Amino acid sequence: MWVHLAALDHGVMDLAPAPYMIRINGHLGATVLSAFPALAPQHHGGHTVLIGLLDRSALYGVLAEIESLGLDLVEIRKLTPDHT
Amino acid sequence: MQVQRGQQDAQQFWLALLGAVRHAAGANSGAEPPAATPEFNAQAMVDRVLSELGDARGGVTLVIDDLHELRWPEATAQLSRLLTNLPSQAHAILTTRHDVRLRLHQLRLAGELAEIRAADLRFSEHETRELLDASGIALSDSGTALLHQRTEGWAAGLRLAALSMAGHPDPERFVAEFSGSDRTVAEYLIAEMVERQPPDVQDLLLRTSLLDRVNGELADLLSGRPGSEQILLDLEDANAFVESLDAERTWFRYHHLFADLLRLALRRTLPAEIPALHRRAAGWFSQHGQLAEAIRHTQAAGDWREAARLLADHSFSLTLDGQAQTMQALLGAFPPGADHPELALVRAGGDLAQGRLDEADAHLAVAETYAQTTPPGRQRRLRVAIASLQLSLARRRGHLPGVVEQASLLASPVTGPSDEDIALGSDLRAVALLNLGTAEAWSLGLPDAERHLREGAVLARQIGRPYLEVGCLAQLGFASIFPHAGEPTARAFAATQRRCREAIALAERHGWGAEPVVAPALMTLAGTMAFVGEFDEGEQWLRRAELALQTDTGPDIRLLLHQTAGILHAGRGRHREALEEFAAAERLAAQLAGSQALSSQVTSWLAATQARLGRPGDARARLAALDDQRSGSGEIRNARAVICLADGDPAAALAAARGVLDGTAPVLGYVTLVEAHLLAGLAHRQLGDQAAANQAAERALALAESDRLILPFAMTGSAGLLETLPRHQTAHAALLADILDVLHGTPPPPARDQAALPPAQQLSPGELRVLRYLPTNLSRPEIAGELSVSLNTVSTHLRSIYAKLQVQDRSSAVQRARDLRLLAAGRTR
Repeated sequence: MWVHLAALDHGVMDLAPAPYMIRINGHLGATVLSAFPALAPQHHGGHTVLIGLLDRSALYGVLAEIESLGLDLVEIRKLTPDHT
Repeated sequence: MQVQRGQQDAQQFWLALLGAVRHAAGANSGAEPPAATPEFNAQAMVDRVLSELGDARGGVTLVIDDLHELRWPEATAQLSRLLTNLPSQAHAILTTRHDVRLRLHQLRLAGELAEIRAADLRFSEHETRELLDASGIALSDSGTALLHQRTEGWAAGLRLAALSMAGHPDPERFVAEFSGSDRTVAEYLIAEMVERQPPDVQDLLLRTSLLDRVNGELADLLSGRPGSEQILLDLEDANAFVESLDAERTWFRYHHLFADLLRLALRRTLPAEIPALHRRAAGWFSQHGQLAEAIRHTQAAGDWREAARLLADHSFSLTLDGQAQTMQALLGAFPPGADHPELALVRAGGDLAQGRLDEADAHLAVAETYAQTTPPGRQRRLRVAIASLQLSLARRRGHLPGVVEQASLLASPVTGPSDEDIALGSDLRAVALLNLGTAEAWSLGLPDAERHLREGAVLARQIGRPYLEVGCLAQLGFASIFPHAGEPTARAFAATQRRCREAIALAERHGWGAEPVVAPALMTLAGTMAFVGEFDEGEQWLRRAELALQTDTGPDIRLLLHQTAGILHAGRGRHREALEEFAAAERLAAQLAGSQALSSQVTSWLAATQARLGRPGDARARLAALDDQRSGSGEIRNARAVICLADGDPAAALAAARGVLDGTAPVLGYVTLVEAHLLAGLAHRQLGDQAAANQAAERALALAESDRLILPFAMTGSAGLLETLPRHQTAHAALLADILDVLHGTPPPPARDQAALPPAQQLSPGELRVLRYLPTNLSRPEIAGELSVSLNTVSTHLRSIYAKLQVQDRSSAVQRARDLRLLAAGRTR
């Protein structure tokens, strides 16, 4: 049982941070960007793309920030070597 | 009502909700304003809100804004219960930024849930036009269409745009620039709006953005300039995402999104000043007695050591103020791994509240070691907090010497210079008296217990701590359940019941009728009901006590719960169920260091019940394990007598009971004496000495008379003994008839009483005295002799009784009197 739970934990917890790409509608200004210090911003057309290494709890922190700032989330993607 | 940002305190939320419901329902007669308690029972609170919603005339609409800010674990479950049980005349409107997992599928299926989602909230182009017209902004149709397109009909965005355009020289140009910008709607519009403000207003907004709520004084302090209140008022009047929180317009808050962006801007533009701003805010809140807020800002300033110091130093008052949950939330905000030994004190408080006594003990030991390292002034404060927790821990363990030691430390006057110290001193004294009196009651040091609890109740009332007053009164009820010495005082059980009812009534006025604080009174009332044979009512009170104790797992109070359940079963002859309850009570007694007398009582009942169930061997083994002191107590001697009777050795039973009857064995109360007389009577009967048996039964009746005690007769199985007692040989015929009714399981009379009679037909005290002799077979002259009145008087009373009860003869008078519970009038009320 313990072994099983530990395995489950491992599957859910994602110990190592992974690169994520987050696309938001509109160009984020300096003030809003300061809410995401761990992410590098780029403007792509009318969108802002944020890229950075996030573990699971950091990722959900970023999502909560996006929600609380009323931003329009367009896309979120985990960037893995086999997912180019 | 508005949910506070990141609300983690269930009690704060529910009290605010209750207040809002009362406000909406109009004035509330008799009830006290809702106040926080150190022990919060969420389930009881939900029931209370539901019941007040049900009582509200004309219906109430409950609006809860920002539901997503509820952060304690059971929040959604508690709210689901409220919403799925709403009375029909109440409606609820919830707003939330994201879906909350309320279990509302039933309502949805029943068509009682309407959901308004983002698409429904979006403004149409036509509505956009109406908003602009209402704001007095002239904009072309194409400009309106552009604005609508750019904001995607988002209401807050449109309102922000309208605000900016209101003072703009060229609204068309504003819309064109806005639409040409790639920046997000909110950021663009809020920056636009802020930049249009004068520099001092911008500065004020930035610097106060780190507060959840702000007033003029605080804003002056943070901005370093006077005149902030007027600025805040003007901003609200301009509809500029600032709103006042109270009718007097002293406190304000910023719209969430607005505040979030301001905070980010503050962090970007003035990062170095932020800790100092938090420190200033903390200082203000601390000065104004808002400790939780002060600690939160101290934490935000990164002054962790100072935050830990504040939390530990004020943990005593915060607990009394009912902020235990907030304290635990503040505790959780400290960075993990940081070493703040004073926080052990706060952890101990949380452990104690949930009955984790061993953990509390360990945390207190850490706190104590730490306190020794602090300077004298502070040490005194910490010691006070530690002592109060140790006091409560010692009390919960039934450890009287520990309680007395801690309580006397606390009860000594505080000679601090400030008002705060004086208030703390009174709080402490009241708490110390409550705990001291309670411990004395549990160790049956009765006269002191009553005196201390009474003093505590008076003091608590003086200093405006109704929670402590209820606590003292509830324990006072318990303190008087074992009437003082060997002799029954006049109707001590009735007096106990009156006290319990008073404590319960006061608790109910404050809405604490189902809180752990009142449990001792609920349970004591249940226990006295058992003693006077009112088993049904006893069980009702016991159920209420169980409900009140849901969140409390302390062994002391649970022991009482099982013991009371046990005697209620035993009274009804359900020995197997009684045995289980007594066994559970005894296991708990083993965890309590003191309470020797109480635990002897439990052991005695447990062993006697085993013997009655045909297990005298087990019972004997149990008594053999006791030390000499407990072994010699009256209660244990009685148990030994029961075992001897079960073994068919009445001579040994008599010998065991003799020590109780001749007064050599210490007894808990005269109930033990009644029991001993009955056991002796049963033994005499087995020995064939009917005269001695009758005499013993008569003595038991004589002792039981003033309280109309029934339970000992039921528990000892004395029906046979009483039935063979010739009626003309007893001076307690009325009590005897009552007891036999209960023992034979006569269905309880319907719950009516003398009050059910029209006033003209209520019996006088003299008539009631005669009435009580009617179930006996005493003749009229014999009744006259018993009452020391003339035969004429008895005859007059009888005629009057028959007339008032509208009956023709003695037996129908008895029947009618039983229906009206007139015969039992002396028992309970």
